[in-house]
Amino acid sequence: MMFSGKQTKPTFKSYLPPLQTDLKKSPQLPIKKLEAKLLPGEIIVNEANFVRKCIGSESQDDLWGKLVCTNFKVSFISHNSLPRKRFQCTHRLLGEHDIPLACVEQVVTVNDLKGKQKILGSNQKLKFNPTELILYCKDFRIIRFRFDEAGPESAKKVCLAIAHYSHPADPQLLFGFEYVGKRYHGSTGDRVNGVDRGGGMQTPLFDCSSDWDREIKRTGASEWRVCTINQGYFISPSLPEFFVVPVSLADQDLKQYACFFYSQRIPLWCWNHPSGSALVRMSNISDPQQQRKVEQRISSAITKSHPLRSDVFKSDLDKNLPNIQDIQAALLKLRQICVIDPFEESEEKWLSSLESSRWMEYVRTFLRHAVEVVYMLESRNVPVILLENEDRDLSCVISCLVQLMCDPHCRSLHGFQGLIQKEWVMAGHRFLDRCNHLKKNDKEESPLFLLFLDCVWQLWNQYPAAFEFTEVYLTVLGDSMWVPIFSTFLFNCPRQRAENSRDFASSKSIHLGQDQALRFPPVWDWSQQFSLKDQTLFNNPLYVGKIATCVQNGTVKTFTHRRSKKNYSSTLRGLPSALRNGSLGPNDTLARRNSLVLRLRSDLSQVREQQETPSERFIRDYFSHPVDLQGLLLPQLLPSHLSVWKLYFLRWVPEAQIPQGGPITAFHKLSVLTDEIEMLQSQLRQYKGAGSTPNNLHAEHSKMYFKVTSTPHQTPSPPEYLSSSFPFSPVGNLCRPGILGTPLSKFLNGAKIWLSTETLANETF
Amino acid sequence: MEESGSVDSVESLCSSTTTRSDRSSGPRVSDTELRSKGKATERIYKDPSKGELPLLPEELVQDSAKDVTYICPFLGPVRGSLTVTNYRLFFRSTDREPVFQLDLPLGVLSRVEKIGAATSRGDVSYGLVCKDMRNLRFVHKEPEDSLKKSVFEVLMKFAFPVSNNMSLFAFEYKQVFPENGWKVYDPLAEYKRQGLPNESWRISKVNDHYELCDSYPAALFVPVTITDEELRRVSSFRAKGRIPVLSWIHPESQAAVVRASQTMVGQNGRRCKEDEKLLQAIMDANAQSHKLFIFDARPSVNAAANKMKGGGFESEDAYQNAELVFLDIHNIHVMRESLRKLKEVVYPNIEDSHWLSNIESTHWLEHIKLILAGALRIADKVESGKTSVVVHCSDGWDRTPQLTSLALIMLDSHYRTIRGFQILLEKEWLSFGHRFQQRVGHGDKNHTDADRSPIFLQFIDCVWQMTRQFPAAFEFNEYFLITILDHLYSCLFGTFLCNSEQQRLKEEVPKHTVSLWSFVNSQLEEFVNPLYVHYPSHVLFPTVGIRHLQLWVTYYIRWNPRMRPQEPVHQRYKELLAKRAELQKRVEELQREAANRTATSSSERPGSPTRSITPVQTFV
Repeated sequence: MMFSGKQTKPTFKSYLPPLQTDLKKSPQLPIKKLEAKLLPGEIIVNEANFVRKCIGSESQDDLWGKLVCTNFKVSFISHNSLPRKRFQCTHRLLGEHDIPLACVEQVVTVNDLKGKQKILGSNQKLKFNPTELILYCKDFRIIRFRFDEAGPESAKKVCLAIAHYSHPADPQLLFGFEYVGKRYHGSTGDRVNGVDRGGGMQTPLFDCSSDWDREIKRTGASEWRVCTINQGYFISPSLPEFFVVPVSLADQDLKQYACFFYSQRIPLWCWNHPSGSALVRMSNISDPQQQRKVEQRISSAITKSHPLRSDVFKSDLDKNLPNIQDIQAALLKLRQICVIDPFEESEEKWLSSLESSRWMEYVRTFLRHAVEVVYMLESRNVPVILLENEDRDLSCVISCLVQLMCDPHCRSLHGFQGLIQKEWVMAGHRFLDRCNHLKKNDKEESPLFLLFLDCVWQLWNQYPAAFEFTEVYLTVLGDSMWVPIFSTFLFNCPRQRAENSRDFASSKSIHLGQDQALRFPPVWDWSQQFSLKDQTLFNNPLYVGKIATCVQNGTVKTFTHRRSKKNYSSTLRGLPSALRNGSLGPNDTLARRNSLVLRLRSDLSQVREQQETPSERFIRDYFSHPVDLQGLLLPQLLPSHLSVWKLYFLRWVPEAQIPQGGPITAFHKLSVLTDEIEMLQSQLRQYKGAGSTPNNLHAEHSKMYFKVTSTPHQTPSPPEYLSSSFPFSPVGNLCRPGILGTPLSKFLNGAKIWLSTETLANETF
Repeated sequence: MEESGSVDSVESLCSSTTTRSDRSSGPRVSDTELRSKGKATERIYKDPSKGELPLLPEELVQDSAKDVTYICPFLGPVRGSLTVTNYRLFFRSTDREPVFQLDLPLGVLSRVEKIGAATSRGDVSYGLVCKDMRNLRFVHKEPEDSLKKSVFEVLMKFAFPVSNNMSLFAFEYKQVFPENGWKVYDPLAEYKRQGLPNESWRISKVNDHYELCDSYPAALFVPVTITDEELRRVSSFRAKGRIPVLSWIHPESQAAVVRASQTMVGQNGRRCKEDEKLLQAIMDANAQSHKLFIFDARPSVNAAANKMKGGGFESEDAYQNAELVFLDIHNIHVMRESLRKLKEVVYPNIEDSHWLSNIESTHWLEHIKLILAGALRIADKVESGKTSVVVHCSDGWDRTPQLTSLALIMLDSHYRTIRGFQILLEKEWLSFGHRFQQRVGHGDKNHTDADRSPIFLQFIDCVWQMTRQFPAAFEFNEYFLITILDHLYSCLFGTFLCNSEQQRLKEEVPKHTVSLWSFVNSQLEEFVNPLYVHYPSHVLFPTVGIRHLQLWVTYYIRWNPRMRPQEPVHQRYKELLAKRAELQKRVEELQREAANRTATSSSERPGSPTRSITPVQTFV
């Protein structure tokens, strides 16, 4: 018999109905657990039993179970009852071992006896029986399954199914369509999948003219108006139905100019600087003869909308920034050194490999370019046009970064989400192509959105208290690209969404009712993926705490929506916030530490003037004052200022995990303190309100994931499960006693840890 | 000018010397200075005729010159006046507003030299190489009167007092602090904390007068089964007489960390039965394990090469149950060269395009990694394997203290507190004879001395790496570590002078100088990490991969004005602590009010919210 006596391995017995019917235990028996959990519209395509999922490098940790391929995910249902840790963030759509098909980058089958391996695509044949399946995922995971004890035919079939279904031939085969379509099958049960648009969603989607109106008002862009000529997408296929143009341009003019631009993309207004300078994005003009004339018309209209009638500055992004292929190549190299190369080997050349991947360089280039644009808006007070060939890639990154740096509203959670909605989704970033969801054209694939998130992370890392969200939020947002049910990341432009969902509806005889199109949930409806409790991991205690420090007499003054004054540096820059606050005496140590910051900041004011460009002087001047977190935020851009976004890129590497360490331990401490402050405030409010008994409402409404303990005299120690990968876990959330048996101890004993077959996978044959 | 009041002096000391690191990367602005430093310095700066110089007690101006040009790598030439005292170099610009200042202790200078000949106008250029990762260059007109000494000749005299038969400024400086830092470390109290002596380990008086080993401390802990006579025999078999003695013992498993120097095996494979017995006794003292791990810090090739010089390592034949592991850490010369390269990469300017590969080419982080990995293996053996370990390198005073003290920080949370860390340094580094005088070269002009090496800096860097990985596990902050490094060179305090306990006693260092800990412990709040959580018996296992090591930019690149500190989380945390204290006060007031109301009105008493009276942490 091929089964050893090892307890963890399955035996045929486990498939027999249990002889003892112990009511308490029966739900946990393996037979019950081996059902894949399916979502509405999800169907099982193929499955194989007795599959081993490799965890770590020692087979003793491996899990046994059933490998299932559905039209949505690769699911692994384990026989082992894992010691589940209570920290684990549970995903509402995906189980612990599930991988959405859209997240699978490459399917590699191996037969180690015959020394063969093959990368599987759609509709391919496999001439050998696989002993092993390796899934390379877009989120940097590498997952291995072994079929040593599975039936050879079923193993082969499930591998082929995974390969086939991870290469959908048509966008409408992406799972989101089935999932959302199911919603309309119910007679009146409209909320089958919890798709709920209006309720509780504070993030503007910018798919209606009122969202744009509000944005115009918010930024004081009175010389700009919402234009509706593209309703029904009759003018431009890639523009949204509503967008904003200078008031001096009539619809008739716009219709006339449209044809000169790439894809009839009339230049789009992004945002207005408080000084009145607009940020506009524009595609290239195809006809060189008309170019000058049209450009002049557009520019002069923008100038007319400027309070000082300033001339427009054009920033050519294609000339100054790496192109999408460069960025894709950089990410592939980065992935190679982060997760594919053997850990110990990549250690030796880590820094130079990181440099030669160029990823960090590109992050810095984008940030630097955004700073240049900020300089034009902020200091030169001129409107800026971001010029890019198609205006659908680089502009998205730059316009967002500029707004993040200038506008504190964009650093709030809803402000940030609205920003992405406005500059990426509505502006027509080709998410479908760039994510390569259909795996049709690798040349179109490019991780621009991830690059943008990394840029945001760098800003966040330098000014952690300026953002309402955390790096967990940014990471989870990046991962959501690979869950193909969100309107946010499924389409190339709003029109494609409308058309595809109309077609899908008619082919499936779905009655859309009042809806124009299928209502895909936006990713911003976080309850689709996470419980409210888990969503508190998005809340930044430093930011929340700052709101707390603004409390006067029980009322919270939020500053997030306050318009920044035109002159950011007027009065607020002079004193550090702790002193303004008045809560600390000037002789306090804090004041002394603060003054240290002041002094260092003033150093730059002495840099020699003959060498510097005006924008350098602007930056130098900026850093000569204390930074107002609610004002302009410029990143520091020496190469030594940037770091690798470890949570995103290294979270799956067991060797790179710091057990009970990492920034999360500081986050834990901050959260608890912030929670305590919130609790005290709610007590205060209650005392002031009715003088009644404080109740325990607080615990339910806390914004913090980590809460103050009920035993206040104890300083809370960070929970044992924390690690630098939290809330992700590279080792399948196995409980381990010490470091014995962990990758760390293997490393200590000089073992090679990563598996050599994985390097093979990238070879072509 | 002399300060008399102790508060004022602490203040001025703080702003002019210690804080130099963090606070003055060269250029300064006087008005912010005024705001920050309080009354003492305000007085000084308001009266420029008095010399603008905040002098320490017993600090005397030796010479000064006007019309000196400082060639700043960031600002270009700055004209101003230069003052040299018996403690510091002070430069103040006269040609720009706001005023630019340089203020550094002469102790940081490793080399002062004239560069080239005088120009036609009589200008002479001087280069100053510093131990703290920067170089300074001045241009000065030679005095026409050839009998008069140039200010730089005076500088050379006072920068290298040892070479000029003078005493270090630490012996002049007579500041009184509220606490006497020389009392921080009491060996017997520290061993008692570890539960020693016990039935297996005794204190030996064999080195009471430093006769057994002049670089070891007087108090030594050895297995009870080994006699003093046997220890004497062992001492002739271990390099420099540095016999295996206990450093630390695990409170539960009784696994011990023992340190030593190499065995004098030589080419003929000498053996020493007392040494073998001692190691067996060390193993027997721990009932949990029938094995002993010997960690030789060196690369095996180097260890073998040492046999040619009479040294070597324990053979597995002679030491039956011992397993020998080499940790591949390189010697002092390799480390010195690595830091020299690092300085080239980070000072004065950073090359934009090849930053990472340039850092890699210095191998500095690789060395840090090997040291941390070695310490981690030691800590793992002791904690997870419950096995005693013996650690040595060649002489046991460079790599050995790096490894033992890092392992101890991982194993024992006491050493992660401010005072515990001081004890660790006093014990593992100072009492066990890390040759600070030789490695740093205090007051010695011989800058090419091959005995100099940044071993201690490297150790502090490793500690800093651990504080990055465990932001809540250390009571001290980065500023504490930088302060220690600054005073490693400053020669203001006696702490890091001399090479051994015996020398310090002979020179009466504790009697004639001030301890750095006097200064530190008198203003602890400056050095406290607000995020610190004390959780006892918690072992730290850092991740030693290059991915998680970073260059300590706030130390190595602090002179670059573009390398400014980032938004400090610690400060926000302190603000939140203050906010909490304020809210707690208000809630308590309201509670009292409410209690009074209900007491007077009726029996309708509000339930007392138990969670509200959280004690406010002391460092707010």
